[in-house]
Amino acid sequence: MSTQTATPAVAATQTTPLGQRAKSLLVRFNLVVIFALICLVGSQLSDDFLQQRNLFNLLQQSSITGVVAIGMTFVILTSGIDLSVGSVLAFGGMVVAMLISGGTAWPIAVLVALAAGAAFGLIQGGISAYAAVPSFIITLAGLTAARGATYLLTDGTPKSVDDGTFALIGGGFIGQVPIVGIVFIVVSILAAFVLRYTTFGQHVFAVGGNAEAARLSGVPVRPVIVGAFVISGVLAAFGGVLQTSYLSVGQPTAGTGFELTAIAAVVLGGTSLFGGKGSILGTFIAVLMLSALTNIFNLMGVSSYWQQIVTGVVLAGAVFLNRWFDRRHAAA
Amino acid sequence: MFIHKLLAGSAAVVLAGSLGACSASTDNPADASSSSGSSKGGERVIGFSNVTLQSPFYVGVRDAVEKEAKARGVKLVFLDANGDVAKQNRDLQDLQTRGVDGVLVNPVNPEAVKPSVDGLVKQDVPVVTVDRPVTSGATAHVGRDNVAMGRLVGEQAKKDLGAAGGKIVELQGDAGGDVMRDRRDGFEGVFQGDAKVKVVRGPYSEYIRANAIKAMQDLLQANKDLKAVYAHNDDMALGAVKVLKDNGLEGKVKVYGIDGLMEAVKQIPSGHYQATALNDPATLGKLALDTLLKKLDGQDVPKDVDAGTTLVTKANADQFIGDSTFAAYDPKGTR
Repeated sequence: MSTQTATPAVAATQTTPLGQRAKSLLVRFNLVVIFALICLVGSQLSDDFLQQRNLFNLLQQSSITGVVAIGMTFVILTSGIDLSVGSVLAFGGMVVAMLISGGTAWPIAVLVALAAGAAFGLIQGGISAYAAVPSFIITLAGLTAARGATYLLTDGTPKSVDDGTFALIGGGFIGQVPIVGIVFIVVSILAAFVLRYTTFGQHVFAVGGNAEAARLSGVPVRPVIVGAFVISGVLAAFGGVLQTSYLSVGQPTAGTGFELTAIAAVVLGGTSLFGGKGSILGTFIAVLMLSALTNIFNLMGVSSYWQQIVTGVVLAGAVFLNRWFDRRHAAA
Repeated sequence: MFIHKLLAGSAAVVLAGSLGACSASTDNPADASSSSGSSKGGERVIGFSNVTLQSPFYVGVRDAVEKEAKARGVKLVFLDANGDVAKQNRDLQDLQTRGVDGVLVNPVNPEAVKPSVDGLVKQDVPVVTVDRPVTSGATAHVGRDNVAMGRLVGEQAKKDLGAAGGKIVELQGDAGGDVMRDRRDGFEGVFQGDAKVKVVRGPYSEYIRANAIKAMQDLLQANKDLKAVYAHNDDMALGAVKVLKDNGLEGKVKVYGIDGLMEAVKQIPSGHYQATALNDPATLGKLALDTLLKKLDGQDVPKDVDAGTTLVTKANADQFIGDSTFAAYDPKGTR
């Protein structure tokens, strides 16, 4: 997991003196610094914050949002957006719940749910890339359609799942470590690997940086865009699978409004909404940061109204700091 | 080839989804345009504008009204407002245009549908509100007393905690909602002036289990000495049960909810869940249609009809366990 940019700015650091290099490292990991600051403040405000149990809670609370946000990062890197993730999450979660409670073995049920997520991604990405419909519009349609499909499937009623092994994915622990947290970390590492070390990953950055230039240099722009949407769809459905496993019940209302949290995390993590620039590490830290804020407020017993105001202010402040670091970086 | 199949399959899913949303929102659009004028051939036509179908409770109300309409030989035009005030107003105006004999409405918001309700009543179309009232203008309201539900559960909690009292964590519904406020006030009112009990208000969790789990994990960290949890609905309370179980506290911390969700009622005999107050949507729907039909038959109906509630505890849980999503409660024998 590492910060990566499409611009060759990083190359400059190799020839600069040591002081500049340290500064550049700080700049590259500025989000980590901001996160550490929030944790430091949190530990001062509440004795419970840095306790092991609470930190594992934090990881668990971040996991489902995190998996969805990782998928969203791919789409935003290609300069698209995926508004359908919350609905696809609900659809995937219901598919898995209905299949398992209908007697299907859980690994197969999970695969079907992921395939359904891939199908949504394939359609949305396909229409966006090949019919040149803005992804904002087509995924807005997807948001409505996927939610409709979920209600159609369930008639609005939750579906309980009674499968001990399946419940372990979302709700189990290894020692004290929540399995869902490990899943989140593994998904993040895989995603970072794909972005950094595969041709597809480099193409994602190229398409988001400048689609026309990418096309002229032989990048298959349209398939890359479709690929990013498929990843987002699969991970959104996977988020639904984790949610269903965690709650032992599939809920048709799951994931309502999730798209905004996921987009907020991706942008807070330093990924440009115009594409071509960003990282999985950034998204990973940003998701933890968002959970940590709520967690600290809850530990302190801050009222919900104030939580929303302060979260808004801290979000704005963090993005501002992040951009400020960036500009300094660009100037250096 | 595979890609093609996948594309076709998923296109069908999306299409089915949008069609589903369509048929849920307007029951039968072709029908709506063709038949105007009321009581054609003596058949009574009733319109029902429901707040949403995105929660099992409201689906339960719709199912009950549909079933009752069929049993009574009444034609029902069902419309889903999908939580949208503007759509609900349009739906109600469409019903007026169509000339239905009476209207049931579960308003998205107590003020925002008032103009449409007034319009209907002015045309001598009786309007009965169900579950949520409008500020004024409706012929009658059929609902439940959420303050009473909170109070019933609170009184049980007070009894369970005994003289020692202790700390109660409260998982709240939606910020600013009437139901949230009533369920909070009813419960907290029981402990007014009781120095032995401290109620800690948790964050708003929108009646959603996943949100309540996050909130409960945090609250448990900050309130290790808690004795009980009160949630504004059973779905959130079940989230609390899960967190308590993860921490080896099941049965040690008492849990209370509202609504009579069957999943919760089934946990009461084991002692992991103490009590819930019933909010059976089936009785509510049936009673609402019954009230409207009485009005249409020229009978006097009370302005406020309370569908009633009762407490489910270990002592009586066996009587309520069944296959429905919500436990049944039918004190007036309307079902």
